[in-house]
Amino acid sequence: MRLGQVSDVSSEPGLERRIFGATFGVLLVWLLLFVRLFDLQLVQGDAHRDSANRNSVRNHRHLGPRGMILDRWGEVLVDSRPAFDVLVIPHELSGLPGTLDRIAQLTRRDPALVRERVGNPRGRTRFQTIRAVRDLDRDALARVEGQLWALRGVLTQVGPARSYLAQDSAAHLLGSLREVAPEQLESLKSVGYRAGDIVGRSGIEAWLDADLRGQPGGRSVLVDAHGRELELLGAVEPRPGNNVRLTLDGRLQRVAERALDETGRSGAVVALDPQTGEVLVLASRPAPNPNEFALGIPLESWQRLTRDPRKPLQNRALQGQYPPGSTYKVVTALAAIEDGKLVPDLRVHCSGSMRFGRRRYRCWKEEGHGEVDLHRALVESCDVFFYTLGAKLGVDRLAHYARALGLGRKTGIEFLPESAGLVPTADWKQRRFDEPWMGGETLSIAIGQGFNLWTPIQLATSYAAIANGGALLRPFVVQQVEDPQGNVLRSWGTDTLGRVPVSRSSLSTLRAALRGVVHDEHGTGWRMRRLAHGLDAAAKTGTAQVVALSVSEGLDPDEMPEALQDHAWFVTYVPAERPRILVAVLVEHGGSGSAVAAPIARRVVDAFLAGTPSTQGGLHARHRPPAHSAL
Amino acid sequence: MPGIDRRLIQHFEWPLVGLALALALVGVVNLISAAPGVSDGVPPTAVRQLSWIGLGLVALLVTLLPDYRTLERVAVPVLVVCVVLLAAVLAFGPVVHGSQRWIVMGPVRFQPSELAKLGIVLFLARLLRRHMNPGGIGLAELAVPVLVIGVPIGLTLSEPDLGTALVQGLVAASFLVFARIQIRALAGLGLAGLAAVVGAWSFYLHDYQKERVFTFLDPERDPLGSAYHAIQSQIAIGSGGWLGKGYLRGPQSQLDFLPEQQTDFVFSVLAEEWGFLGGAVVLALYLALFVRGLMIARSSRDLFGTYLAVGVVALLFWPCAINLAMVLGMVPVVGVPLPLLSYGGSSLVTAFAGIGLLANVSMRRYFF
Repeated sequence: MRLGQVSDVSSEPGLERRIFGATFGVLLVWLLLFVRLFDLQLVQGDAHRDSANRNSVRNHRHLGPRGMILDRWGEVLVDSRPAFDVLVIPHELSGLPGTLDRIAQLTRRDPALVRERVGNPRGRTRFQTIRAVRDLDRDALARVEGQLWALRGVLTQVGPARSYLAQDSAAHLLGSLREVAPEQLESLKSVGYRAGDIVGRSGIEAWLDADLRGQPGGRSVLVDAHGRELELLGAVEPRPGNNVRLTLDGRLQRVAERALDETGRSGAVVALDPQTGEVLVLASRPAPNPNEFALGIPLESWQRLTRDPRKPLQNRALQGQYPPGSTYKVVTALAAIEDGKLVPDLRVHCSGSMRFGRRRYRCWKEEGHGEVDLHRALVESCDVFFYTLGAKLGVDRLAHYARALGLGRKTGIEFLPESAGLVPTADWKQRRFDEPWMGGETLSIAIGQGFNLWTPIQLATSYAAIANGGALLRPFVVQQVEDPQGNVLRSWGTDTLGRVPVSRSSLSTLRAALRGVVHDEHGTGWRMRRLAHGLDAAAKTGTAQVVALSVSEGLDPDEMPEALQDHAWFVTYVPAERPRILVAVLVEHGGSGSAVAAPIARRVVDAFLAGTPSTQGGLHARHRPPAHSAL
Repeated sequence: MPGIDRRLIQHFEWPLVGLALALALVGVVNLISAAPGVSDGVPPTAVRQLSWIGLGLVALLVTLLPDYRTLERVAVPVLVVCVVLLAAVLAFGPVVHGSQRWIVMGPVRFQPSELAKLGIVLFLARLLRRHMNPGGIGLAELAVPVLVIGVPIGLTLSEPDLGTALVQGLVAASFLVFARIQIRALAGLGLAGLAAVVGAWSFYLHDYQKERVFTFLDPERDPLGSAYHAIQSQIAIGSGGWLGKGYLRGPQSQLDFLPEQQTDFVFSVLAEEWGFLGGAVVLALYLALFVRGLMIARSSRDLFGTYLAVGVVALLFWPCAINLAMVLGMVPVVGVPLPLLSYGGSSLVTAFAGIGLLANVSMRRYFF
């Protein structure tokens, strides 16, 4: 098809000349591009092509080390250490199965596992380096290095591996890593991940993965047929990831964990600063050791963990739900004071039990407490007094005040999976079981048995609200993200979710009673007496009957004897006025809160005070180190 | 087909549409190779690219069927729509890799900055054919086009999408030069541009945007960035030789080491695997496309058609030239995709819409 001439419509002078000019310009630019392409591919390209045939260009990807996780004092909890890997380049191998078997033999690994890791490298993967064996020990490395001359297409490379310095301490919180799964790859590719890279699986490793991960770099080198490097064609340095600083105190955390382990039971400890919500301890035992699967966990160890009847993967501090026992009595007390059901000098006679309807409701103390008022009822944990209040209040008023203290919903601690617990109401029971609420059930609720379920962190935040004068705080465990030079990139702080809608005097009545639990005669919290620096403490014990545990988690029949024992609770804060630390302890099937859980809290508090200068000033100086200072 | 002039079918602009389709299909074949990943089979990116080619052909019909002279009337509304969309991107667009470029409506995502290139071409073609001074464009006549075109360019610049803004600016500048601008006006424009840049720098750009400009001007600032890309790209191309390493066999590209190999660096994958032969054929196809486009400009029966055709050629030529020069290591790295070949729906559909306009001008010359 021929195109016609420029039309006569155009009165434009020299239009045709201008179009020719434009055409000439286009031709000129394209001529330059042709020449450049010719030059690159056919003039300079000879060198490239020769080396690509006889030698080869290898591209090594170097992972940048992941950032560290530090505790509040700068102690390193999680670090990256150098690890040696064996890599293979399938298209350079002389024989794939034979070579892999030889690698397995040299590294003392299971040949089937090595073959599975490499897979069947058809198509594009033929050119990619594949990690055949991760994290060699020194002997295996020496054996492989000694044989490299005979292993074409095999190389060793040093890369970062994760090291959890305190082994299984705070394992649930710190989390673990995994290899990028194929189904994750599509979404992670855009942020620089490749197949075989390591990515956070759970905990802080997962939540702050984007901050922690290092920037990968690479080296492009020319190697001869024997794998000797001839020329460096280009390199990009990998960069380390950012560091995460926690509010956690690593030393206290370990004290809490050791104390829990010594009971031989499962359990949890939460400690926080009741003024700020900073989490100082978040312990759950038993716990898995993330070092055992720092580079991806073998299937069989994973199954061992998931099938362990002690459920080491469960973070009991946040996910474990237990009846609160007598720690609930502050809710009943608060409801009674606020709703005017408690004239200040109300006294109840405890004879060791109380009749309600056709049933007898027993106090834990068979011989009875005699005449008790609210203060003594809390101090000695008299059940009959609280049965009486419960009967006056009804379940829905109790639920109202439980919710006001933040119970029955997640505390909102950052990223970790958390249970909401349960605050029962008449309506809830109707919906859940299609049965009306029975008056007697209210009595159980009033002393923290029955359907009530709390998590250890809920116990901590609700008592923190009482201790700090009514502020419901969102607990937080990450303080800031810092770049490798120490500049703060992001930080977190106190987040007040709301105020408990009760009067200040109600709360101070409660606080006086909680102080009495420790310091009054017959107080159940006597183990917190005589602290360092002459400080006063406040506390509450709790013993949750397991046999009444009928709603949630069914019991494992295999462990009935132990399972019939009560859960032990203890919560304490120190000092009794303007407290700086609050510790909540749960020991599963531990028996009495006062006997089993209280000593654990005591050890944490003692350790906390031992790391503290004796002056009041020290007690109120807050926040970050320098090493010698403050809480 | 009812409603469609028989002459349209008779005189269909096959050479141009054929060239564009050929390039787009080369792009799909190349994408199959450029897609990183382990699995065999056709990667989803190639499938998506094919469906965008289908969408591009629809766009081509839309810009082809109405007589282009009626398009002169919608030039201003089209530009207004473009500006509104660009503003919407800045207001509502999601932030991806530190910049806002997309409008997302359910499953549909597109970049208004691509559409804005077409809007600029239509507007300038209309304006310049109406207000012509026999002595060339003077300073006074420059005010309207500069102020109007400055809006979409400025908005694109603040996304920030420096590459596309640069192409928009070059398209507009080519127009002015083609329509014969006076030397005095050109100097004035240069000064005004300089003032605008300084003003934007001082009062308008965010620090992170400035950082991007710095990185653009000095690639070494970003060690993982541009310089690295350029080196890798040249190694890949250089090792291609005469006939290349063979399809799906380019180790450089296959190693997943080439940056942005599906978008900005597609040509280096192609040149590595198909060698000089493949690279030269693709270059020749582009050249034929531009020359054909300029022939259409020459054959148009009215000035609007000529300007429209020249504008569309500029719209295709500049990103091609910048991308290829960048990939071949002749200019610093700028984020500009290669029209028709790079992965991406917005750029592909815009290119086909432009081809439709060219075909429109070409075929309507038989209608007089």
